[in-house]
Amino acid sequence: MTVTSLSHALSAYGAALRRAQAGPPTGAEAPSSFAGLLRAETEATRASLQASEAKAVEALTGKASLQEVVEAVTEAELSLQKMTAVRDRVISAYQEIMRMPI
Amino acid sequence: MDLTSAMTIAAAGMKVQSARLRVTAENLANAESTALAPGGEPFRRKTISFTERRDRASGLELVDVARYGLDRGEFELRYQPGHPAADADGYVKFPNVNPLIELTDMREAQRSYEANLNALQLARQMIGRTLDLLR
Repeated sequence: MTVTSLSHALSAYGAALRRAQAGPPTGAEAPSSFAGLLRAETEATRASLQASEAKAVEALTGKASLQEVVEAVTEAELSLQKMTAVRDRVISAYQEIMRMPI
Repeated sequence: MDLTSAMTIAAAGMKVQSARLRVTAENLANAESTALAPGGEPFRRKTISFTERRDRASGLELVDVARYGLDRGEFELRYQPGHPAADADGYVKFPNVNPLIELTDMREAQRSYEANLNALQLARQMIGRTLDLLR
């Protein structure tokens, strides 16, 4: 009795794990794991920061307008904020798990 | 994302309004620019018109300067016999720039610029407030 319920529980855990590893089924190129999602987001933030810096340099040499610089810098700032907010959230979730009494 | 698109569009609006202010400043600065010799043409008032432009990369409907034109209006004749550009009767052609119209145009450019600025600020604020939910 106890042995069968334990094996049931184990197989249920296994199924949950497989589901979690499979990730969300939507989209073919959607990142399959949370780490992948985070990596993609970091990459996008880095690109927008670089773009804003390039715009600032263009503005200093007189090639870009002030409005373009403001737009690029604001976009980079917001995506950095998004990035740090998600990171803080992930770390606090991790700490929450580590504090969990087993 | 819609809010960042709104920021891009508002920035384009600010850009064309600054172009409009530039044209107005040109007109105002040259309001007294006459020809150098008799028979010559003085400064002709410049105009600016806008059009919508679809940005191919992002698919957004932005605004852009359609064309810079010239005002076909009549020149103002002033009696100034001592002027180097005066004709045989002593009249000088002055530019067809009306400072009152230019000032109104300038005020309109300012208001439109501020409207776009507010849209940009609001979009940014909305993104920031939404992100604050995560904190």
